[in-house]
Amino acid sequence: MTVAVQKKICMLGGFSVGKTSLVKRYVASIFSESYLTTVGVKIDKKTVTLGDRVVHLILWDLAGEDDMSSLRMSYLRGSAGYVLVADGTRPATLETALSLRRRVEADYGPLPFALLLNKNDLREQWAIPDGELEELRRSGCWVRSSSARTGEGVEDAFTDLAVRVAP
Amino acid sequence: MENLPAQVADRLQALSFADRAVAWLYVDDALALIAAGGCLEAYGLGALSLGAPAVEQAAFLEGLLPLVETPWLFPSIELAVGHEKGRVADLHFWRDEGGAGDGTWVLLLEVTSERDATRRLQQKAYDMTLLQEREAALNRRLEAAQAELRAQSAELARWNKTLEERVAAQVGELGRMSRLKRFLAPALAELIVSSGDESILESHRRDIAALFCDLRGFTAFAERAEPEEVLELLRDYHATLVPLVQSFEGTLDRFAGDGLMVFFNDPLPCPNPAERAVRLAVAMREAVMVLAAGWRRRGHQIGFGVGIAQGFATLGQIGFEGRFDYSAIGTVVNTASRLSDAAADGQILVTSRVAGAVGDFAELGDIAPLAIKGLSRSLAVSNVVALKSGQHQQPI
Repeated sequence: MTVAVQKKICMLGGFSVGKTSLVKRYVASIFSESYLTTVGVKIDKKTVTLGDRVVHLILWDLAGEDDMSSLRMSYLRGSAGYVLVADGTRPATLETALSLRRRVEADYGPLPFALLLNKNDLREQWAIPDGELEELRRSGCWVRSSSARTGEGVEDAFTDLAVRVAP
Repeated sequence: MENLPAQVADRLQALSFADRAVAWLYVDDALALIAAGGCLEAYGLGALSLGAPAVEQAAFLEGLLPLVETPWLFPSIELAVGHEKGRVADLHFWRDEGGAGDGTWVLLLEVTSERDATRRLQQKAYDMTLLQEREAALNRRLEAAQAELRAQSAELARWNKTLEERVAAQVGELGRMSRLKRFLAPALAELIVSSGDESILESHRRDIAALFCDLRGFTAFAERAEPEEVLELLRDYHATLVPLVQSFEGTLDRFAGDGLMVFFNDPLPCPNPAERAVRLAVAMREAVMVLAAGWRRRGHQIGFGVGIAQGFATLGQIGFEGRFDYSAIGTVVNTASRLSDAAADGQILVTSRVAGAVGDFAELGDIAPLAIKGLSRSLAVSNVVALKSGQHQQPI
């Protein structure tokens, strides 16, 4: 018998790191080169089948802000996990992502999350050393590089997070 | 707002919501959908079932109910309808206790146009920030490239300096080599230069075998013959003897017309200097005999004599910067020179010490003791007649 559950997942990160593009790639398998900033939240839904379970992921794509106000933090209410996104060509966005993680953990406790270093198709502009990724992994982060343009690492990240939020 | 006439209130409502989709839900504390209304289809909520779980039908409610605080607002929420863009609404939540029953009202008040206006402003700000970030990143890369260029230039300057030093060293080496080749066999000159140790060229004393040779009848020939003919003869003579000197690894001290001085055991030592000198003298004699036959055919009676002595001499570079020679000074040199003067055509006159050293492989003929200028008593002298059979004239 198939069991269906529904889980809320929030997308967090600085502006223009590719949160909306990652959701579009994951939900609709499309990518747009043009950048359109998100205001507020955009909610999408993706259904994942994990063995005999069906998980409906309700994806809250939050506007990218370097410092989330308490009002924005309320968007995370009821979230089962979150995806932190940084732009691998802009090292400061990794700092932003890690800062957001600390903020989320302070307000909501240690929720499951995945850290994606996005835009790995722009290798010649890549600015985050591999050693830093290794250090994050050693500290217990689930961290991968990804590309919303090519799709690399996207499906894996959401699937892995789905397994963790709906065990 | 109280006491508004119904017509005004209706008009106000029409103005406020003419371009906005408004929808509402009412969810009880068991999270069942009790009531719904308004423009539900605008938000993809057209197929709601009353009495069924609300969260399964309105996915955006996931995790939000039951309400923790009341009232509560989630501003600017875009609800996708399928894969299409959805409308944007502020979500208002508030508890209603004692009205339709204990539950939560959810009001979706469309703010799409406000969101779009905000987005236009925000887009410009973010685009500008991104441009500034890219410019800063570009500047950093440019500065890094310039720093790398400066480092490479410095490295290149160091290489150039090293190269100049090496070229100067090699030029100096070539100069030294050129000087050394004037009096040493080329192989020995290269050995000294490559070892970098020229101290052996400094003034010192050593036991050497000195060889002098010159032509008999050359002075008379030079008086009779044309200068060009004299020079041609000397060219043939030197071209024949100098390679022999080098092949026997002798040190060529000097040319003086038809006279030639060679010594052995310096600057590089050899175990058998007298033997080498005698073998060289025999080879010279054989070679000059061939030349002399040609000279005789042209009417020139020219012979060849050699003198060899062994003893200690003072050796070293003599001269001044740009004109150094490596030379030997001492009685042994004078003695070899006098023996050469005394030698008749075809004779190789050697002192008794040299004779003793070469007796095993050379046939010697005794001649009368010679009175040598500068020596108080006569000198016992032998003539090297030939090498004994089985002895070659090749270098040892």
